This record gives sequence, C-alpha cells and structure tokens, in this order.
Amino acid sequence: MARNKYDVDERLETPFDIRHLKRAMVYVSRYKWRMILSLSLSAAAVIIGLFAPVITQYAIDKVIPQKDIPKLILMAALLLLTIVVNIILATIRSRIMTKVGQDIIFDIRTDLFEHLQRLSFEYYDSRPHGKILVRIINYVNSVSDTLSNGIITFILELFNIVFIVVFMFAMHWKMALVILAGVPVLMLFIMLIKNKQRKAWQAVSNKSSNLNAYLHEGLVGVKVTQLFVREDENAEIFGNLSEAYRKDWMHAVTFNNLLWPTVDTISATIGASIYLVGLLIIGPASVSLGTIVAMSGYASRFWQPILNLANLFNNFVNAVSYLERIFETLDEPVKVSDKENAEVLPNIEGNVEFDNVTFAYDESKTILENLSFKVNKGESVALVGPTGAGKTTIVNLISRFYDVNGGAVLIDGHNVADVTLKSLRSQMGIMLQDSVVFSGTIADNIRYGKLDATMDEIVAACKTVRADEFISEFPKGYDTEITEGGSTLSQGQKQLIAFARTLISDPKILVLDEATSSIDAKTEKLLQEGLDRLLEGRTSFIIAHRLSTIQNCDKIMYVSNRGITECGTHDELLAKKGDYYKLYNAREM
Amino acid sequence: MFQIKWIWENMKGYRGRYILALCMTVVGQIMYLTNPIFGQKIVDTFIYNENAAENLANNSRLLVMLCLGMVLFTLVRTVIQFNSNMLYEKCSQGMLARIRNYLFANVQKQDMTFYDRNRTGDLMTRLSGDLDMVRHSVAWIIKALLESIVLFTTTTVYFFILDPIMALCLLALTPLIFIISGIFRKEVGPKYVDLRERLSQLNTQAQENIAGNRVVRAFAREDYEIDRFQEKNSEYAEANKAAAMTWLKYFPYIETTAQGLSVVQLIAGGIFVITGRLTMGEYVAFSGLIWTLSNPMRNVGTLINDLQRFMASASKIIEVYYSRPIIVDRKDAVEMPDHLNGDIEFKNVSFSYGDNEVLKNVSFKVNAGETVAVMGETGSGKTSLVNLIPRLYDTNSGEVLVDGVNVRFIKLETLRRNIGMAMQDVLLWSDTIEGNIAFGDSDMPDSDIRTFAKAADADSFINSLNDGYDTIVGERGVGLSGGQKQRISLARALAIRPSILILDDTTSAVDLETEKTIQENLASLDFKCTKIIIAQRISSAKDADKIIILKDGKISEMGTHEELLKNENGYYSEIYRLQQGNIE
Repeated sequence: MARNKYDVDERLETPFDIRHLKRAMVYVSRYKWRMILSLSLSAAAVIIGLFAPVITQYAIDKVIPQKDIPKLILMAALLLLTIVVNIILATIRSRIMTKVGQDIIFDIRTDLFEHLQRLSFEYYDSRPHGKILVRIINYVNSVSDTLSNGIITFILELFNIVFIVVFMFAMHWKMALVILAGVPVLMLFIMLIKNKQRKAWQAVSNKSSNLNAYLHEGLVGVKVTQLFVREDENAEIFGNLSEAYRKDWMHAVTFNNLLWPTVDTISATIGASIYLVGLLIIGPASVSLGTIVAMSGYASRFWQPILNLANLFNNFVNAVSYLERIFETLDEPVKVSDKENAEVLPNIEGNVEFDNVTFAYDESKTILENLSFKVNKGESVALVGPTGAGKTTIVNLISRFYDVNGGAVLIDGHNVADVTLKSLRSQMGIMLQDSVVFSGTIADNIRYGKLDATMDEIVAACKTVRADEFISEFPKGYDTEITEGGSTLSQGQKQLIAFARTLISDPKILVLDEATSSIDAKTEKLLQEGLDRLLEGRTSFIIAHRLSTIQNCDKIMYVSNRGITECGTHDELLAKKGDYYKLYNAREM
Repeated sequence: MFQIKWIWENMKGYRGRYILALCMTVVGQIMYLTNPIFGQKIVDTFIYNENAAENLANNSRLLVMLCLGMVLFTLVRTVIQFNSNMLYEKCSQGMLARIRNYLFANVQKQDMTFYDRNRTGDLMTRLSGDLDMVRHSVAWIIKALLESIVLFTTTTVYFFILDPIMALCLLALTPLIFIISGIFRKEVGPKYVDLRERLSQLNTQAQENIAGNRVVRAFAREDYEIDRFQEKNSEYAEANKAAAMTWLKYFPYIETTAQGLSVVQLIAGGIFVITGRLTMGEYVAFSGLIWTLSNPMRNVGTLINDLQRFMASASKIIEVYYSRPIIVDRKDAVEMPDHLNGDIEFKNVSFSYGDNEVLKNVSFKVNAGETVAVMGETGSGKTSLVNLIPRLYDTNSGEVLVDGVNVRFIKLETLRRNIGMAMQDVLLWSDTIEGNIAFGDSDMPDSDIRTFAKAADADSFINSLNDGYDTIVGERGVGLSGGQKQRISLARALAIRPSILILDDTTSAVDLETEKTIQENLASLDFKCTKIIIAQRISSAKDADKIIILKDGKISEMGTHEELLKNENGYYSEIYRLQQGNIE
C-alpha cells in the first residue's frame, strides 16, 4: 500500500465542486431556525438603524434652527433608544451565532472522529499520525467562522446590494449602469485569480499538514533523535518544511491582499466617473445636481458590501481548502464494516474454522492461499514460523481486522463477515505486539478491558498475570499515573498491564501475538502457571518465538510462506523431523 | 510586558520592515481620512456653488483633474496598504518561522523528563494553535491598534482646533470605555487560559486515540472512545462559548458608549449651535468625523479580547521556549577523540524516577570490545541501567565512566555518536527503510546500508518488499511485523559503527533461526565494539564475557556463564534450568 510521509503532499483526489458547499450546508441547515432568527434580528437592526440618520436630520433641519432645547434632548433620547435597541439586537444575534458556530464545529468534529473510529489499521498505517491529528483539530477550527457568521454576513450583504441596486435604478438608471459597470471588471479579476488562489490555499493546507506531521514525529521520536545525534539535521528538515509553508502562505495571501485594493480602486474609479458622467456627459441640464450627489453616495454604499463580500470570498476560499480535506477524510471508505443486516453474534463457545481462506494485503502479493483448518472450543493453538509468513495475518482475520479475499472465517459456524464487529470483537481478547498504554492511572488502563470492572476484579487480573507485585510496589499502587506512552514503565511492565487488560475482558477467544516477548523468563514462568488455568475453557491462539511458551499447546501450526505446512502437538511435530524440528533444534544453549 | 519583549526579540531581521509597515499604516490611514476631500471639492465647486454652471463650463479641466486625483489618490493609498499588509504578512511569517524552528530545535534537546511531564498533544497545541495566535497578533492586532490610535489622535487634534470645549464633551466618554474594558480584561483573561487548556486536552485525546488505534479496535472500544472524545469536544466548544459570552456581556456597554458619542454630539453640538458657539458648518464637520472617534473606542474591546487570547497562548509557548534541559555539555567538558575506545564503568550508581528508586549502588566494569549481558526480572532496572550510558538520564549518585571519563564530562555529541542503541520500543520514522537505517548518518553510502541490513538479517525481507529499500514504513514502523521492526532498528544502530552497542531486548520478537544468524553476525563485525545486551534468553547471554543479573535495582550476580551456573540457587541457574528443561 502506498504510504505517505511527512514531506509528501497529499494529493487531493476530488476536484472542487459545488457539492462540497451543499455538504457543508447539511451541517448548517441543522441550525436553520436559529440562523433565520439571527437573520431576522439583523434585518430588524438594519431597519432600526435607518431611523438614526432621520432623527439627526430632523434635529439639524428643524429642532436646532428653532432653538428648541427640550425637543433636542428628546431627539437625543430617541437616538439613544435606537442605538440601544440596535445593540441589544446585535448582541442577541451574536450570542446565537457564536453558539451556532461552535455547534457546527462540534458536529463536524464529532462526525470526523466517529468516522475515524470506523477506519481500519491500514488508514492509520499509511500516513503520518500528525496529518490525521491536524484534520481533527486545526482544520475543523479553521472553518467555524465561515460556516456561521460568514453565511449570515453573506446573505445580509446580498440583500443590501439588491436593496441599493433597486434604489439606484429607481433614481437614475443610466448612472446606475455606470455604477454597475465596475462589476464585470471585478468578476473578470476574480475569475482570473480564483483558480490560482484556490490552488495556493490548498498548497498551504498541505504544507501545514506536512509541517505538523514532522513536528508530531519529532516529538514522538525524540529519544531516537537524541541517541543518534540527529537534532541539527532534524531541525534543518523542519526548517525546510517551515520555509515551504511560509513561501506558500505568502503566495496565497498575496491573492487575498490583491482582492480588496482592486475593489477599492474600482469603487473610487466609479465614484469619480459618476461626477464625470453626471456633470460632463449627461450634464446638469438633464440630471438634477442632488441626483448626482445622491448617486455618488449610492456608489460608495453599493461598493462597501461588495468589499465585504470580497473579504468573505477570501475567507471562503481558505475555508474550502480545509473543508475539502475534512470531507475527503469523511469519504475515506470503511473497508471493514458491519453488513447491512449483520446479526449480533450470540455468546460463543469458541470453535474457529478457516474454510479455504485466501487473503492478500494488495493484489500483487497473496499472503494466504486456500487455507483451511479447524480449532475446537477450548483448544490452544500456537502459530510458529519465520517472521513475515503470515502468523499475525491469520489472527487478524479471526477478529476481522481485514476481510478475506476468498473463503470464510467461521466462529461457531457464524461467518465473521455476517456478524456485527462489536459483538465479535468484544468476545475476543487480543494482545498485540505493541503494548500501547494510555495516559491515566494503571487501574484505568486495565479497566479499558472491562469498563465496569471493580477494583477487586482488577487486582485479581493483575495477580493472575503477575503484575500485582510490581504495581503494589509503586507508592500509589494502582492509582499510579502512567504518562503518555508509559515512558516510566518498562516494556515488560507494559506488557503485563496489557495482559491484565485483555484478561479482564473475559474473552472466549484469546489471541496473544508476541504478548510476552519482553517479559523475563522467570516472570513468564510464573505467568504461565496462571495462564494455564486461564486458558481453560477458552480457545487461544498464541504467536511466540520463545518455544517455551507454546510447548504445552494442544496444537502447534508451522506457518511458512507456503501456508500451514505442519500441524500437531509438540511431540508429534518433533517426531516428524520437519520445519518445527529444525526450528526447535536451532535453540541450542 | 514580557510577551511583547519576547516577540520583539524574535522579530530580528524584520524589525525595520515591521516599522516601515507601521509607518505605511499611519500614512494609509491618514490618506483614508483625507480621501473625501476630492469629492467635497467637486461638490463645492461644481454642484453646490452659486457659480456651479459657470465653473463647469470654464473649468471642466479642474473637474477631470479632481476626478483623476480621486482615482490616483485611492490607487496610491491601496498600493501603500497592499504593500504594508504584505509586509505584515512577511514579518509575522518570518517571526513565526523563527519561533517555530527555535521551538522545534529546543524541544528536541529536552531531557526525557520533559517528555514525561508534557504530553505530545499539548506540545502539538503549543506549536500549532498557540503559535498561530501569536502570528495573528503580530500581523493584525498591532496593526489594528495603530490604526485606531492614528484615527483617534488625528481626529482629536482636529476637533480641538475646531472647538476645544466641544472636543472635551466628546472625549468625556473615553474614560468610561477604559474602565469597562479594564473589568472585561480581568474577566476574560482566565477564560482564554481555560480555552487553550481545553484545546490542548482535545488535542491530547485525539492524539492518544490515533496512537492507540489498534488497541481501540482490539477491544471494540470505538463507542467508548467516541464518548470520551465527545466530552472533550464539548468542553472545548463550551469554553469557546464562555469566552465569547464574556465578550458579549461587555460588548453592549462598550458599544453603547462608543455609539453614545453621536448622542453627546447631538445634544452638546445642538446646544452650542443654538447658543451660537458653533456654526452649522462646524457642527457638520464634527458629525462627519464622529465615526473616527467611535470606531477606535469600540475597537478597544475587540483588541483587549484578542490581546488576552494572545497572552494566554504566548505564555504557554514561552514556557517551552525558555525550557532548558539539565543534561547538557559542561563548560569544562574533557576533550575526547572523535572515536571512543569503549571502556565502560559504573561506580556506585544509583538512579530513581521521582520517588521510585530503580538502581541502587550499581558497580561494574567492562573493557573495550567485551560483551556484557544484562538479565533480570521485569522492572529490575535493566533499561534504566543502559539509558545512563548515553546520558538519556543522569545518575542521582555515583558515576558512569566511558574510557575512564565521567560521561557528564564528555560532550553529548561525542558520547552519543559512539553509542549505537536499539531500543525495546522500536521507533521508526515515516520514511523509507533506507532513510531509517541511515538515520545516524544520512550521507551513508547504499552499500553500507545493505551491509548492515544484512548484519541485522533484514536484507532478505527488505528485498522481498515491493519497493525494497525504498519502501516507506509508517510512523512507528507500522505495517511491519515486530521482528522486522526490531531488525531495522538493529541495522540502524549498527550502521553508525559504534564503539558501544546497546541492544535492549532487540531480538525478542524475531524467530530463533534469525536470532542465531544475528548473533553470529554480531560476533564478526568488522569494527571493535563493546556490546551490552539485555536479554531474556540464556541463549543470547551465555557467550558474553560477563553476565550481570539485576534484582530490584541491585546487581545480584555477576560473572561468566560457567561462574554463574555454579551458584545453583541463583537467578541465572534457575532460568537456565527453566529453559534447559524446556529443551529436554
């Protein structure tokens, strides 16, 4: 599978189309009533705002010449009233829209996160984690304002423009045409820069993603960096990514900064043209001077909202470059998901069957071909063989982390593809090679296997896997906070915690993939005793390189590149003098 | 204000341009104020003038000139403003890159204890979201502040010239704005501190979920994860709302005061006109420019809002910016040759993580070229012991010596360049396999990369991958099996031809045949190297020149295979019997 690395831009597979907008509108339209309310409040504020000039006009024309001070104060009071009402409306509108904006962001982020939970390992394996992270956090934050206030402003300004255009034409249509003549020029300009601007902002979002990916790796891999004295070289790589981001930002922002001076200049040119056209071409004979003054007023009142729209347009282009990425992630196909009428897997006994299973990670390379075997409930099966032969793949297919290309994996006769993932996996206990622990207390980490586990259950599980001994030696015992990645625990301790976490979930099928590789021989021996009791009544699959772990298994399967070449008990396989025998003898002391 | 000083410090190389940009802002702002003069002149001369028709007939040139002037003036102004905006962008981006690069370099130098304290998600927040807030303030807040000041002072001066009393009446409301914004500032400050803390928590939650995605799938805990994320997501949204609501609580008062200027103007101006103090023309002049006072006043609130946000973010960055590692080169470091010999000695070494003492009085000596195996129970301090050699941590007491010199006196670079370490928890980079093996020296020739891949018995599986050495492995080497990752990590450690090779349980996940091959290869390396091998299996340890058994942080047994076997009650003998027993 093609993997992405920190310095490779992620190609955008889908061209921009209007559907992105429609899709964004789905989130917005959930709040349409609140949006409409805000819009009405804004409209009301605009209308009330219209009274203010009327009041001052009246005061200047009538009240002041009449020297009527009480009436002047009355007018002032009226003015104050319109101002206060206006501000109250604006405040309410802002309160509503702030909430709407945050709620939209909350929704998008939730959808994104939920979708990410459904994606398989492959998605996470094929790109730097930092790139996923920026999408959930930074990109989503970047679109909030455009999708809330941006839309309201857009609608209001549009109304504003329509309003003014109507007035202009009503007053003098020829001069109105002059004012509108600037619009095609602006449109032409926007058409010219639109694509470049969009590409430029896409590049910025790419570069910011690269930068964050490298930053993330730099933080996660700092120990290796220090050990290999790579600080300076890494800083240089980061510096280059930083510079690439800066350059693309400067390029993109140039378009944004070009837009409003263009509007401003067009607006000024139109303003001047009004006088020229009005006075010199049409002439004061056929147009009243008042009309010319009024039209020049309209000109600036027409272009102001256009200037605002231009700024909105900039924000919008910017936001779309993030929205595209968000939607791209949301569109990432879920490779393994519940079938439409998937059943809930009933409580299982633990019979596992591979029926002619064929599997390939990608078409060019088949890992498993026509593999068939049967494991009865309660049996323990060890998978041995060279690295990369497909041992992990086999156990991954049981928990349906991947779907088979041919054949079927059956548990108690149920095809794993026909049951819900949750009902399947919650009855399985899988311990992976990487023992990832989460930040939180040790008890929290073990409780991850069974969310309602009592403290007694946790301690019991830890005693079984011999983790209780080291845990109770910590001053805070089970309440010891584990830092991220468990850096203060040894690898062996992490494995023991992960072990307890798996056991507490009381699985019917247990998969141990190199689960004890970092545990010392003595602890392992003790662990083994507890384990033997535990394995009773559970079907278990054990992958281990230390043959000591697996000799007592009911069945040992030797997995090579040619599939399962040998299968039997330890003694049977030794007697066979085949691959297992060779492997076993390699272990001389 | 320290934050401002810090920013200024980081504007080096851009200060001149930044000041130029600020000057251009002042010019642009003034031109903006004077722009209407052209229109005014046209109206006065050609429209509302007794001789308007005459002027138009005789002096149409003036009209054209004025119109042209209007366009040109705007053009000049927008060119100035465009350039000043681009300068702001340039300066803020330059500063941003400088701080960001410095921060990256700085976090890379921090001690391991720094990473035990700070979570990746939190550091990510500081280096992305917080940093962007700082950029935003440099680019726009200061500019907006200056524009407001220019508008306000110019108009104030102009108003005082027109009529000082009237000007004073208008300015009477100004203190009110400052009082309200002062209260607002106190209330909103903590809100932004909280907000960025929530963002950091959200980031951490998402980061851990991504890092642990396999565990989440394995336990089918997707719903649980979604619930937990939702909680942080909603807390962040609420914190955002809370900060905005605080602003909206004060906004009406600030806004009313700012807009109240026109009420004051109406009353005071009206009375002054009535009493004859002001002419109607002067009144109109005041009213035409009243917005230049009220806009800056209403901006005070927004600016304080942004400034508080900036402060919350900046102080978080500054924490990391000035964070200094404890493990650094000493000034009196001993000059050592580039290539160390590889003698190692531990003298009474004790070490603890916080209250948890993991090594107690450990002493031993290894001669250059020898092999030492370290064994012991889980948590007995094996990894802590080897971490002290490259100074990932410093001892609490006692000394670690390399070539007879306390490692604290050896330059970190010299020390670490001589140590090849393959860690238990294999960390690869999302780079090609080639790039990962050559991590310690990116100029390494391809032939070397292959040689060491072969030594780590990785060559054959690498060649079987579709892209061979150019295969990109995911972050943390996902996509490869545990054994494959370990072998790449081993090749990476070998590739720097270290004088000291530390293998921390490096072959735990490889199969036995491979382990055997690797052991043989390690025995026949073409350079001299001291090997410290942490192992669980007797087979990995028995040929070592010295075997050290750790128990609860102390050396409980030490000697060769034969010597240790003599102590029948010892850990080593026990393990031997355990593993031997399995064979027979």
